[in-house]
Amino acid sequence: MMSSQTHTLEHRKSQTPPRRLSDGQFAVLLLLPGVALLAGVVLYPLVAALVTAFFEQSLVLPGRTFVGLQNIVEVLQGDFLRLLGQTMVFTLGTTILPFVIGFALALALNTKIRGAKVLRGLMLIPWLVPGVVVSFLWMWIFNANYGVMNALLQGLGVIDDPQAWLAQPGTAMGAVILAKTWQSFPWMMVMLLAGLQTVPGELHEAAEMDGAGTVRRFFAITLPHLKGIVGLVLLLEFIWNFQHFDIIYVLTGGGPAGATQTFATAVYETAFHGFDLGRAGALGLLWMVLLMALVVVYVRFSEKGEER
Amino acid sequence: MSATTQLPATPTPPSTPAPYGAGRPAAPVRRRRSALRSERPGVRIAAWATVVVFGGFGLLPVYWLLATALTPRNQVFAYPPRFFPAAPTLDAFASLASNDALFGYLRNSVIVSVITAVLSVLVSAYMGYSFSKFRYRGRRSLMYLVLASQMFPQALLLITLYSVFSAYNLLNTYTALVLSFTTFTLPLCVWMLKGFFDTIPDELVEAARVDGASRLRIIHSIVLPLAAPGLIAAGLFAFVRGWNDFVFALTLAGPEKQTLPPGLVNTFIGEASTAWPELMAASLVVSLPVAIAFIALQKYLVGGLTAGAVKG
Repeated sequence: MMSSQTHTLEHRKSQTPPRRLSDGQFAVLLLLPGVALLAGVVLYPLVAALVTAFFEQSLVLPGRTFVGLQNIVEVLQGDFLRLLGQTMVFTLGTTILPFVIGFALALALNTKIRGAKVLRGLMLIPWLVPGVVVSFLWMWIFNANYGVMNALLQGLGVIDDPQAWLAQPGTAMGAVILAKTWQSFPWMMVMLLAGLQTVPGELHEAAEMDGAGTVRRFFAITLPHLKGIVGLVLLLEFIWNFQHFDIIYVLTGGGPAGATQTFATAVYETAFHGFDLGRAGALGLLWMVLLMALVVVYVRFSEKGEER
Repeated sequence: MSATTQLPATPTPPSTPAPYGAGRPAAPVRRRRSALRSERPGVRIAAWATVVVFGGFGLLPVYWLLATALTPRNQVFAYPPRFFPAAPTLDAFASLASNDALFGYLRNSVIVSVITAVLSVLVSAYMGYSFSKFRYRGRRSLMYLVLASQMFPQALLLITLYSVFSAYNLLNTYTALVLSFTTFTLPLCVWMLKGFFDTIPDELVEAARVDGASRLRIIHSIVLPLAAPGLIAAGLFAFVRGWNDFVFALTLAGPEKQTLPPGLVNTFIGEASTAWPELMAASLVVSLPVAIAFIALQKYLVGGLTAGAVKG
């Protein structure tokens, strides 16, 4: 029985031509493992999460009931606007600040000052350390009792008394933004330095000979040349920060009194501390719609700028 | 400035973009260098001021991380803090070495990150090869879909991913972490490897086919060895992705299977008084593999990340 089976298999094998699959079939076969992962870990969970917006569903209990738009209405009537405001403050702050710092450093380190090469390397350190390490470090810097930030600012006469930066609603968001800025600016610097190096030196020289000053040349030559890469880094940084989780969660957990809560931490909290999947899904749905809308508006806007 | 009248020795390369002063010949390279070596004093002062202020913002926290890790435990709770530790000590590192729980997290981190790296290289090599060397309908759309998959917020994916892994009894396993991490490395690794495969001439693949090598054999014994630097770069990137992750390991794994980032949070944060020197020492230890990986990767990663962006 066994042997006859192997025999037929071998027989069949020898009859088929050496290439059983067409090129197209082979190409699709190569895609399968990756596509399966993307479908299972990104696509299905995303769709399923958005669908839970329309159900009353708990993380720990089985079963769910269709409730239509109830979750979405509840979220919109709740603290949605506050969440949106805080998310925008965090996202814009952590996009603009690193951009300004990264651009300034890129310009400074693109000159021939001594040590520019070493500094380019050293400046990458904040970008290399894991997100939790960034959080630990800034948690220690902002420590209310022994923090070096208090000592520094008191020494400079900026503040009179030590502040609990991460525990006061008025200062927590600023502190979190500063920590995230510290992590992000090196990437901006690297990208913009790479962009600066594509600006032909001949243009600058020609303009200089025609009497254009440093500032004039920056706006007339450097900036137009960098338009593409500036648009790209701002868009990517915006998308990333709009969904940033780690640093906020470890530094403040969204507190104090929800002052640093963003969509990312709010969705996580609602699902994994409140066990309310329906509400978390509703928040997530609104979050994704907003992100898509903002990206579309941005792309349209920058395309229009291009046409001009 | 007498060089202005000098005629250029070399003709302008045709590829030089010249939207400004088009038709003006490019100055010879020798002169350009000398002009750049002497920055104007105003420019130099501005450059130095920028470096001092923003460079300080970048590097002082790094110094503070190092200094705290070397501060004796009884000196760390002092206000104002000492900017230079009085009696630097390696006690904090010694105390880490005797912490068994941390070694558990470390082992988990190494296992998960290494398997992620290997799996990610395999999956993205096949996918990247398919994108690079075959032409079929939907290829470009799929490529951009892979790239776009990193746009979706992980906190949102997690709320149902948790239930998915729970349904297959995969919560608190290495499998759940490895599958998640591998997926999130795909956008970068697939695109990076596709770029590497694009540089391998099609004639080489054709020649091997004419010689009778099977398509899988061509991939494994001709294409992959030629793309070895790319595979290493992709593998290191995937390793770092697994090593640095926080939210997936925090949510999908319990203490026995958790990696270092959530492990450190659980160990040090939320206690009545955090052991700052130990936490800073642990932070240094966690950051070390990433720094080493980056130094090894630098050539591929920064070039690869910026090349496409700058051109586009």
